Amino acid sequence: MKSQGFGKGKVLCAAVLSLLVWHDSSQVNAQTDGAAIPDLSGLWDGGGRARPVNGVDVPWTAENFPVLNERAIAYQQVFEEIIAPKYDCQPASSPAVQYDPYNMQVTQWPDRVLFRYEKDDQLRTVWLDGREPKSIDFSNQGFSVGRYEDGALLVTTTHFLFDITGFDDYNGIPSSSQKVVTERYWMEGEDLHVTLTVEDPMFLREPASYTTRWIPAREGYVLSAFDCDAESARASVRFFPSKYK
Amino acid sequence: MSTKRLISAALAAATAGVALLMTPVLAHHASGPFYDPDKRVEIEGTVKRFVFKNPHAFLFVDVADAAGANVEWQIELGAPVSLQRTGWTPETLPMGMVVKVTGQPSRAEGSTGICCVRMTRQDGSPVLSGGRVEEAVQPPR
Repeated sequence: MKSQGFGKGKVLCAAVLSLLVWHDSSQVNAQTDGAAIPDLSGLWDGGGRARPVNGVDVPWTAENFPVLNERAIAYQQVFEEIIAPKYDCQPASSPAVQYDPYNMQVTQWPDRVLFRYEKDDQLRTVWLDGREPKSIDFSNQGFSVGRYEDGALLVTTTHFLFDITGFDDYNGIPSSSQKVVTERYWMEGEDLHVTLTVEDPMFLREPASYTTRWIPAREGYVLSAFDCDAESARASVRFFPSKYK
Repeated sequence: MSTKRLISAALAAATAGVALLMTPVLAHHASGPFYDPDKRVEIEGTVKRFVFKNPHAFLFVDVADAAGANVEWQIELGAPVSLQRTGWTPETLPMGMVVKVTGQPSRAEGSTGICCVRMTRQDGSPVLSGGRVEEAVQPPR
């Protein structure tokens, strides 16, 4: 009797341990349902070799320029370049940072994907383990979650702080805390591609989207520290003839 | 050192859209709000200070005005994170070096700034030894 009870106990313990191991594995390996995981890791060149450099009509062209509502247009009318926070070294956020003409590094871990941008030394973490953001997770880069599907990485980012130039660096379009950015990353040959979509009901009448690519960085390339300097960032501001007194 | 200020709408129109830059300029901000692409200015001056920091390197030079007094000009260059990959260092433009610069003048009245420049040593040779001085199409800023 005693030995049978002890045997049942061992089986029960083994079962409990198995459950714990399985649960722990599911946290570390968030994608265990057989989804094809693309190899996105590496150093990527987003400069002029890969795509046209950003400007007032790149990547937002006549074809995909966001449809602004009256609130966004009102902001644009009072906006002038020198109030953009980048002149105080505030980093660009999505959807601008993905198109900045600098290099980027992607690192894939089982429970997260790390995007490190050379511009402004920014690091975005895309959580793959199903966690959800809390109110304290509001930030310049927002909070990103993702999953692999059909050979691509799908990312959804929310919890952005309000940003007077949160849409891009050139058109004076703001973004609100309701901004949602979705990205789909995939490989074509050696190139990394992304389709990015922005929704922001406070300023956009409909979602806006662009598609672009990175090419492999030059051999031996190592990301440098950007270390934005406050004096350098604001040095040209005094050359701007403001319309405000 | 002499200052030659060439502000010619005709010349500017002829060169408009053709960027005059010997070093890569990468996007941080649009230059249009700060500098006038329809005008050109040419100076020759002595390096006073070279700030080699992101997001833009800046060069400060002393230029003699018509009365012989020194006026400080501020020249906006590209991002050091990219310039350094073409050989530029914080020591590339040492104090006392004489440079010739042509570019777009700053907009604010009375200001002395230039961007989008073509820059050489006083004798017309490249700033960087072994480098080239060329006019190239400048990507949007």
